[in-house]
Amino acid sequence: MKQFLRFLLLTLVFTASVAVVSNAGPSSENRIDLIGKVVDHYYLDFKPLATVELPRLIYDNGQFHFYRSTTSLLNKSDLFTDAAYLVDEPERKDGLIKPASYRVVRLDGTSPQFDFSITSHLVYFWFAALLTMLIFIPLSSRYRKGVGRSTEPRGAFQNIFETLVVFIRDEIALQTIGSRKYMMFTPYLLTVFFFILFMNFFGLMPWGVSSTADITVTAVLAIMTFSITQLFATKEHWKHVFWFPGVPVPIKIILLPVEFIGLFTKPFALCIRLFANMASGKILIMAILGIIFIFSDLFGPGVAYGTSWVWVLLTLFIYLIKALVSFIQAYVFTILSALFIGLAVEDHSEDDHSEEHARYSLPTQYEQ
Amino acid sequence: MNPVFAQGLLDVDFGLFFWVLITFLLFLFLLTKFAWKPILNALGEREKAIKESLEAAQQAKEEAMRISQENEKALKQVESISLKLRKEAIEEAEALRADRTEKAKAEAEKLLEQARSTIDQEKKKALLELREEVAKLAIEAASLILEEEIDEKKNRKIVDRYIKELS
Repeated sequence: MKQFLRFLLLTLVFTASVAVVSNAGPSSENRIDLIGKVVDHYYLDFKPLATVELPRLIYDNGQFHFYRSTTSLLNKSDLFTDAAYLVDEPERKDGLIKPASYRVVRLDGTSPQFDFSITSHLVYFWFAALLTMLIFIPLSSRYRKGVGRSTEPRGAFQNIFETLVVFIRDEIALQTIGSRKYMMFTPYLLTVFFFILFMNFFGLMPWGVSSTADITVTAVLAIMTFSITQLFATKEHWKHVFWFPGVPVPIKIILLPVEFIGLFTKPFALCIRLFANMASGKILIMAILGIIFIFSDLFGPGVAYGTSWVWVLLTLFIYLIKALVSFIQAYVFTILSALFIGLAVEDHSEDDHSEEHARYSLPTQYEQ
Repeated sequence: MNPVFAQGLLDVDFGLFFWVLITFLLFLFLLTKFAWKPILNALGEREKAIKESLEAAQQAKEEAMRISQENEKALKQVESISLKLRKEAIEEAEALRADRTEKAKAEAEKLLEQARSTIDQEKKKALLELREEVAKLAIEAASLILEEEIDEKKNRKIVDRYIKELS
């Protein structure tokens, strides 16, 4: 019964999203903007309930200009306007100019110097960060009080998140970085894992946006991994990059550009992998639901209604895959980051035997 | 139509980049300080405590085993000593008893011997006395019978011969 209700709810959610798409249809010349569903916006989309415009912060000519929303900018500012209104007549509603393209330009049509406006992906990034804080700071206070420190962890909340934390510490950090330095990087790996996981999960919620489907966000994460890798790299690592040991000189010369490019391809691959996985899931769902409208165009509405359940079920299936991928991609990003960090900070003088032995040693303590 | 279809998808927005970088660093710092380190420390402490208590338990077990083995050994030793002592005591008692019996027997023998010799002497004395008495009685009797017939000298000879024959 419970499962049936859950199924019904999901179906309703998808039917609602179909309705949203069909509403959007006629207004944009019968075209569903697939990419528009994935890219960043200057508003939070709760269609058909509401659209929440986000604050705009623009730096131009040595001055910061702050507006509560794009609408407020368009109505108050005599410096900027919507890119669409350079040629068209501004659209008005209740006496206020409403944004059309949300792209803010100077009155002469050129872009302002810097646009620091809050965007939907940023908001969901913050949500993920706050959710991580809201979960783990109360959890840490439990540990501070002694539950889990001197006793066993109590309750599902603590057990679930402790399992994840221990998994990342032991299975990701310890396995790939080695017992000597892994505690130094575990906080970073934990942060990245939970941020990505929660960002991915937000994309699964109704109206939710997954920030990881934005290449800028994944680029920041990849750059963080890259910076840590380079900052903590050992002499051995640089030697491997610029003058590969143990091979003849001509091969050293061939390996130099390969290794050097490899430094950058690793984080680049990290960035693209996460972004592409998360964006493609969303595009796939929209595309499959879009088949209903394509069928409607090709064979008439009757066929579209008749076959729609197939596409809704398929969407449900893709949705479940997305839930799985959310976990997998968070894990993959974290373990690859750990691997790259491990490669860079690895101490080659450490022989394999002691490494094996040290695996069972206890984690070192942080200084408070 | 948009000439580059997925252009918006691959745009790197500077403003977003800036904000995400700043907030990521901020949250990384906050989470590390207020969440990860306390949690990881607590976990490390707990694991250390568990490992230590397991080791202590193992040690205690070994200690107990060693003590019980020692106890058993001591018990066995004590048992063997007590067995030996008992045996010795029994032997001693046996010897003592034998000795006593021997002594008592010897005493009894001696006493018996003494009694016998006393009896013998008494008997000899009695016999001697009896002989004297008999001789005197015979003489008296004979003298009474033969008062006048035979003088005393002749009678004496007869009596002596008679006594000799008698003894």
